[in-house]
Amino acid sequence: MSAEPVLLRLAGVGKDYAKVESRGGRLRLVYDLLRGHGAQHVFRALDSVSLEMRRGESLGVIGENGAGKSTLLKIIAGVVKPTRGEVERHGRVGALLELGSGFHPEYTGLANIDLAAALLGLAPSEIAAKRDEIVAFADLGDHIDDPIKNYSSGMVVRLGFAVATALAPDILITDEVLAVGDESFQKKCIAWMEEFLAGGGTLLLCSHGMYHVQKLCRHALWLKDGRVERYGAASDVTQAYLAYHEEKSASAKAPATPAAAATAGIYAITSLALDPPERIAQGAALTVRGDVYTPDGRTPVVLVGVVRADGTPVYGVATDMDGQPPVRVASDRFAFELVLPALALLPGKYFVRAHALDPEGVRLFDHVEREIIVTGHTRELGIVRLAHRWNGAEE
Amino acid sequence: MDVAARAGVRNRALFANFFRRELTTRYLGSISGLAWALVHPLALLAVYHFVFTQVFRTTGFAGQSFLAFVAVALWPWLAAQEALQRGTVSLGGYAGLIRKVAFPHEIVVYASVAATLVLQFAGYLAVLAVLRLSGEPIRLEGLIVAIPLWCVLAVAVAGLALLLSALQVFVRDVEHVLMPVLMILMYLTPILYPLTLVPDNLRSLVAANPFGWLVGRLRDALLDGHLALQPGDAVAALIAAAIFAAGLTVFRRLSPHFEDFVG
Repeated sequence: MSAEPVLLRLAGVGKDYAKVESRGGRLRLVYDLLRGHGAQHVFRALDSVSLEMRRGESLGVIGENGAGKSTLLKIIAGVVKPTRGEVERHGRVGALLELGSGFHPEYTGLANIDLAAALLGLAPSEIAAKRDEIVAFADLGDHIDDPIKNYSSGMVVRLGFAVATALAPDILITDEVLAVGDESFQKKCIAWMEEFLAGGGTLLLCSHGMYHVQKLCRHALWLKDGRVERYGAASDVTQAYLAYHEEKSASAKAPATPAAAATAGIYAITSLALDPPERIAQGAALTVRGDVYTPDGRTPVVLVGVVRADGTPVYGVATDMDGQPPVRVASDRFAFELVLPALALLPGKYFVRAHALDPEGVRLFDHVEREIIVTGHTRELGIVRLAHRWNGAEE
Repeated sequence: MDVAARAGVRNRALFANFFRRELTTRYLGSISGLAWALVHPLALLAVYHFVFTQVFRTTGFAGQSFLAFVAVALWPWLAAQEALQRGTVSLGGYAGLIRKVAFPHEIVVYASVAATLVLQFAGYLAVLAVLRLSGEPIRLEGLIVAIPLWCVLAVAVAGLALLLSALQVFVRDVEHVLMPVLMILMYLTPILYPLTLVPDNLRSLVAANPFGWLVGRLRDALLDGHLALQPGDAVAALIAAAIFAAGLTVFRRLSPHFEDFVG
């Protein structure tokens, strides 16, 4: 792998954006820039980013909104000149930045294909050969003759992806492309990217969907406040990123809960943990444990449920249904532990929720949730694996 | 293909693409658009003719016809004016591209200026031909000098357009200031009147206007048939080149920051 040539190298790259509020500020900025000085008031969008990509590698860039992902991709694509550091680029870079990927809104789809080809440095004869392929992949029908400004965002992405892919870049940069477009087109894109990677292509993907990063990328880079928080194997980085979010949402809720519970005198879940914590193989045992606060010393009811990422409830069970009350660990605190021995959930993203109810199991006071990703390879459909057998099947 | 050659191919392809678009969407997209490109200067010419020969009854065109006298000079001025105005705002029309794709931004300005000048030059040739056919004293052999003069004008206009378009990205007022400034400059340039009508004490001031020099040379060539080159021609070419170099320098300083401010 290390024998492959380096296509992209960033060393200590940083980018400052000028901050100007007034018209006078803009004049001042022009004056500073003309004198060769930097802007005076800046916002540091990116700082000290170093990375290296060799042919055939795939890198996922993750991070929260405003972390500098788009700025980084723009620097790699050459649209933005870094304020600090060095960028070394070898080979043709195809970029799908945000939606449009450099389309002209007044041009028709076909004219934009020609424009994109010209931007990539293809001769008109070369593009003529590719045009049918692009039109077929984008699958826009007669809309290909309409101006892009009349397209929906999904249609723009289809065309953008079709163009970026047909022109065979050495490095393909995509920014959140997979978030738009309907499901069948997403699948088409992912299938194309997998093939591109298998054929030795180099992919730089920016996505909020950890699933796409894990599926398509071998390495990942987590940007936080413009700096590299973590850079390494995709699975490690995405897990660390998910754990960070876990803690963030927990710390956002946890301090509020006991305090609020104490003052409001309500039953509340004070801690909730999953074992294994974030990812579990299909069919493995999942343990849900936590603590619940009681304002009056009586034993509360705890309801634990599983919902799919879109909110569809899958299963829920409460301590009073099974006659298994939580165990008292302090005068105002009870512990609960629920084991799901062979998790029947099919692969995907779910939430485990714990609710605190009054001792009568009637009034619901509080809930805390944790995300869990069930991993595995199966072609089964739906949410859970139901116990089943095929009768009369030949051995 | 090495990197420089590939970039060269790409920049030519981009220029051709933008140039075609400027022509088609602005002028050829509608029949009236193309007509306007010709009708506007023609209408101005007619109005000036009416005002100066019928109302003010100006004389002193050294025996030359007012129509021929003004037409030869008015067209290059209007061409330069339109090229500057369109060139100044040209980057805004490509905001989406500038924010998302890496390419030399000056190509946008070149294409905009070139499209305007090429079309206006075609109009100029057509009007000269019509005037000649209707018996006006136009010396068509003067084009041998007029064409290089237009080229010098194009270089200077491109340089100014680079400067103004780069400033326009940051300071939106440029476009609004440009209009009245060009209007005032037009009346300060001996386009509608000969330099000889300017009072003696102001004449050297008006004569210092480079565009006035260009107008004078065009009249020499197309009306009087003077085809010999003058030392001033070389100076003018140098000035145009200097304007272009200055414009390009400013443009290149500012263009890395367009992405953040354009639109």
